[in-house]
Amino acid sequence: MSPAPIDAIDTDDVHAAAAGDRHAFERLYRLHIGRIYGAVHRLAGYDHARAEDLTQEAFVRAWQKLPGFRHESAFGTWLYRLAVNVALMDIRARGADPVNMVDDDHLPDPGEAPFCAAERDELQRAIGRLPAGARAVLVLHDIEGWRHEDIGHELGVAVGTSKAQLHRARQLLRHALGERS
Amino acid sequence: MNEFEWHRQLRDLRQPQLPPRDLWPSIDAALHRADAANAVAAPRRRRRHLLVAAGLAASALLVVGMAWQLRPTPHARPVVRSDAAAPAWKPSDPRLAGAAVEFTAARMELQQALQQAPDSPALRRLLLRTRQQQAQWQGRARDAG
Repeated sequence: MSPAPIDAIDTDDVHAAAAGDRHAFERLYRLHIGRIYGAVHRLAGYDHARAEDLTQEAFVRAWQKLPGFRHESAFGTWLYRLAVNVALMDIRARGADPVNMVDDDHLPDPGEAPFCAAERDELQRAIGRLPAGARAVLVLHDIEGWRHEDIGHELGVAVGTSKAQLHRARQLLRHALGERS
Repeated sequence: MNEFEWHRQLRDLRQPQLPPRDLWPSIDAALHRADAANAVAAPRRRRRHLLVAAGLAASALLVVGMAWQLRPTPHARPVVRSDAAAPAWKPSDPRLAGAAVEFTAARMELQQALQQAPDSPALRRLLLRTRQQQAQWQGRARDAG
């Protein structure tokens, strides 16, 4: 969650975009799309089509909320949090409780997964096949580097709940990869 | 895989990634639609605000008018001659007696208020309208026989 170095150089474009300059907003899009799409793609279970929709929605919301942006944080951080929130809301809208939907009945089939170290693609596939709620906690903590306090705040749960759900999510992932923790 | 390797592998997944296609054209089109929707909604919001403001202004005017009429007058002033000289309406139909009393009282009150603020166009309009309404009722009473 540390701000990207590019945050320091986009201030003028942020001001211009907040005043309605569409070209400035496009420059901001091009500057931040990699970080935003990467995070949304992971939260969407590596589903490109859904990640594209969510990314588009995140940028539209950013455009609408930009006049109210108070510059209390870096623009990149603000945009990133907004995009993550859009992705989490999508998980909720699809009927999945982001922290309580971990369910043994939906465990991915570990049959063909390797027993030991997972290759990058295999790891991504396994994460993508996790239940959406378990995936959200695991992605936010273990990949995005969020603290449990931040995850709890974003998901509206206690810190202890976040920790417990992360433990559960890791078990699910290891199970999916064929390990026995 | 030990715990360290596990965490390293997961952290390695945190990398910027570009979408398979450029999303800007879709975003730009969505922004156009959103702006157009806002452009339609804005005048509606402005109209609503104007209506609220007009309502508040009317309420304030009513309160001021009532306070003006209810304020104590140290010396009773004579009623304006032109209206005071107008003959009081005494309908033969008892069902209209109440209305006649109301019209007479309203005219008297407006006359007194006009003595306090003789240049008030609003009071003059109210007095004129009261007279017109009384005339209408008188006409209907005559037509009814």
